[in-house]
Amino acid sequence: MKSLDKMLAEFAQQKLEKQTRRHFLMDCVSKVGGLAMAPLLFGCGTDSSIGSTGLNLSQRDLNPLSPLPPPFGAKAKSIIYLHMAGAPSQLELFDYKPELVKYHNQPCPESLLEGRKFAFIRGVPNILGPQAKFSQQGESGAWISDYLPHFQKLADEVSFLKAVHTDQFNHGPAQLFMQTGSARLGRPSLGSWVTYGLGTENQNLPGFVVLTSGGKTPDAGKSVWGSGFLPSVYQGVQCRSKGDPVLYLDDPEGMSRNLKKNVIDAINTINREEFEAYGDPEILARINQYEMAYRMQIEVPEVMNISDEPESIHALYGTKPGSESFANNCLLARKMVEKGVRFVQLYDWGWDTHGTDHDGSIDMGLRNKCREIDRPISALLLDLKQRGMLEDTLVVWGGEFGRTPMQENREGKTQSFMGRDHHVDAFTMWMAGGGIKPGVSYGRTDDFGFSGVEDKVSVHDIHATILHLMGFDHEKFTYEFQGRPFRLTDVEGELINKILA
Amino acid sequence: MINFILPLFGRFHPILVHLPIGFLVFGAILIFWAGKKYGAYAPVIQLAFLVGGFSALLASMSGFLHYQNEGYSWDTVKFHLILGILTTLLSFGMWYHLKKSVLSPIPLKLQSAGLLFFLTVTGHLGGNITHGDDYFTEVLPPGLQAFLGGNTGNGEPLELPADNWEEVEFYAGAIKPILDRNCKSCHNPKKLKGELDLSSFKGIQKGGEDGMILKAENAEESPLLIRMLLPEDHEDHMPPRDKRQPRKEEIELIKAWIESGASEKVKLGESAINESLIEPFFKKRERPFYPIAELPKLAQDFISKLREQGFFAEAVKKDSPLLKISCVNFQAFSDSDWHMLQSAKDHIVYLDLTGTAITDILLEQIAILPNLTVLKLNKTSIEGSSLEKLTENKSLKLLYINNTKVPLDKLTPLDGHPTLEKVFAFETPAADSASSPQFSFHLEAGSLSLPPLASDTIVY
Repeated sequence: MKSLDKMLAEFAQQKLEKQTRRHFLMDCVSKVGGLAMAPLLFGCGTDSSIGSTGLNLSQRDLNPLSPLPPPFGAKAKSIIYLHMAGAPSQLELFDYKPELVKYHNQPCPESLLEGRKFAFIRGVPNILGPQAKFSQQGESGAWISDYLPHFQKLADEVSFLKAVHTDQFNHGPAQLFMQTGSARLGRPSLGSWVTYGLGTENQNLPGFVVLTSGGKTPDAGKSVWGSGFLPSVYQGVQCRSKGDPVLYLDDPEGMSRNLKKNVIDAINTINREEFEAYGDPEILARINQYEMAYRMQIEVPEVMNISDEPESIHALYGTKPGSESFANNCLLARKMVEKGVRFVQLYDWGWDTHGTDHDGSIDMGLRNKCREIDRPISALLLDLKQRGMLEDTLVVWGGEFGRTPMQENREGKTQSFMGRDHHVDAFTMWMAGGGIKPGVSYGRTDDFGFSGVEDKVSVHDIHATILHLMGFDHEKFTYEFQGRPFRLTDVEGELINKILA
Repeated sequence: MINFILPLFGRFHPILVHLPIGFLVFGAILIFWAGKKYGAYAPVIQLAFLVGGFSALLASMSGFLHYQNEGYSWDTVKFHLILGILTTLLSFGMWYHLKKSVLSPIPLKLQSAGLLFFLTVTGHLGGNITHGDDYFTEVLPPGLQAFLGGNTGNGEPLELPADNWEEVEFYAGAIKPILDRNCKSCHNPKKLKGELDLSSFKGIQKGGEDGMILKAENAEESPLLIRMLLPEDHEDHMPPRDKRQPRKEEIELIKAWIESGASEKVKLGESAINESLIEPFFKKRERPFYPIAELPKLAQDFISKLREQGFFAEAVKKDSPLLKISCVNFQAFSDSDWHMLQSAKDHIVYLDLTGTAITDILLEQIAILPNLTVLKLNKTSIEGSSLEKLTENKSLKLLYINNTKVPLDKLTPLDGHPTLEKVFAFETPAADSASSPQFSFHLEAGSLSLPPLASDTIVY
């Protein structure tokens, strides 16, 4: 209680300070000086209202997360993005290359290697034939391997992009590129853009939530869900995947909810005065974080608790409450979207199958990894479907790049396990739900699965399409920063019209 | 050396034209104002018309030189030029009249009014040449423009038939509409900016002041395309950066046309063009998800008020009057709170009452929402007794009744609903009655499962 008294005293002090002569004089210096400087600094304002074209930002008032209408009609209102960190092998899952079998264990043709650089492959590696059994599934006839036996049944629900390419062959930059549209640090992530543009539906939950599984967070670190130059209120909120998803949700002993409210109100009164004085949007972010933390106490315990779900749902997803698993995260994702969370980002670590050990082998480790996601992703799609949520929820699945058709030969040596190196030229992703035409396989790779030969899709194209489904024109959705408007898709990106419903 | 004098003098035309206007208007004002005291002002009035006449002469001469040197067509300037000369003659005529005899005030006033009329018309025609003849009408509301016979659209976006696009003429059916939409407003026979007319095939072949704009079968060296592909801030970029820019697909199509030989008569099908270039122009038969309703936009204050009351309230898209309402943060919403939404009843197209305290009675109110398209009643205590009321909603497409006690027979009245597409009834008695009948809508019963597979437990 002593510390609380101290805090309240400090609050009174701060409030008084705003009215002292000294403060007035100090203010005068900065304000008059500021006035004189204003024309010199024109265009570099920190005013939150200058932000973006095409958005009615004035509606935002003091709440940066309050909802905004999308500039164009939206097909989806929420996104669940399943990112397989480490990059799964498209050649074992979706991209069936029977030709590759013939060349198994033979040296890779020089023509493929000319002028190419790989992360670990040196010299001339051998071709590695597909290790999975492929079959065509559903009415769409999509190729899905026996590594994903449950997902095979959902072939007609999703649309495959089979010739995606990127330009980064290391995990960190490639993840950044996939999530922020740039391989360098400092850009806002997809989730931040969407939350910035649309705000959040449920005012008691963050608009952009991140859940991780697989034991590690992505190599690129938390920047993959960072807000870059957008106000930090739009960055992803990472929830713990084991134990309490959010810490300190319960009021500590002796601290009633009312008391807490008073404290937060007091802090925010000061912060609001600071905001009026300096206009820094980061202060709004701070105010909002305090309020959000307070309001989250109402909703989070219910949303984040999967143990109340019926047994049938646990059987469907294969969830075990209390443990850290991709399955639990999938179920949480459904619950959060159901409760009006705008963007749920799942990262599952452990897909980097170089063949350096058992876990990283194409024929064993990758299979185990597929086991972990096969039922959950299938269950997620089915669950969204049976609740009618697939009507306005977009589901995206993919890694940050693909894997080579060649066996990795790290340091020029033969590996004891089957493995594939990082590959940027062609890999597979899929999308389902809000606004996606189901059952399409778009794009084709050459006989080696090395490069796309038809309907190639870039990372920017994927971003453009996702933004389109959320009701944005990716070329007009900009944010003014350091004197120039920035876009998620920079100066590129074309809509992938063929997979749109 | 002296060659530049005449064009330079011509370029003074836009300045010189204001002199006769000033003098002649001043003279006319004096005539009207002087009235019976005309005698006292006579010398001044005479001077006004004399100076007016001389300045009009200068303006006419410079105007003629301007026409000669700047590439205006005779059709564009003829009335302006003739009336300009006429005005000059009339000014001198007035001066001569006034000098010779003192006319009675009435004809004098009539004559000066006539002169002013010619002056105005001449000036207006001149303005049309420089500012375009839509200079005044451009700013009028579209309705008024149409009333005045103006051309409101800038040309319709190009649309091609998906089924027999091969039969469309490449130039007339595809390229001309693109050029009309993007270039014609400046490059037409009247305006002829850069002496270039892009509104006809002849004009394109003729080229502009810098010569030919097409190099057959070589798009990369054809100025028509080069100009469009320059960076937007480049001085030579066309269309100018403050004008509407053509779509990438439009530029691609122009490129393909030039590469195919830029012929006038060839058809799309004969030009060996890749269908993927045509595809973006296929007419989309897509119908908007929400109804098209002519409604006044809701005031932002009203939406803010709804939010203060606890609703999630938002327009379906920017500047749309249609409203999405959700009670995700207002779980205490009950039948008696309906009045809060009453005044937006025409606007609500999406209503999410999931988890609220509503009962079946409220459906009678919901039934009068004319544009309601999505209705979510999940996890409420409704039992379906009033679901039949929803037959009155003429736009309802998706109905969610997951986790309610609605039995199957309560859904029967909705069979044959003209717009209803799907009903989601996961975990309801309706879904449990296994042998579900065939409704006109898709009934999603849920309880989907993934039966265990033998391979599920294998660890490699």
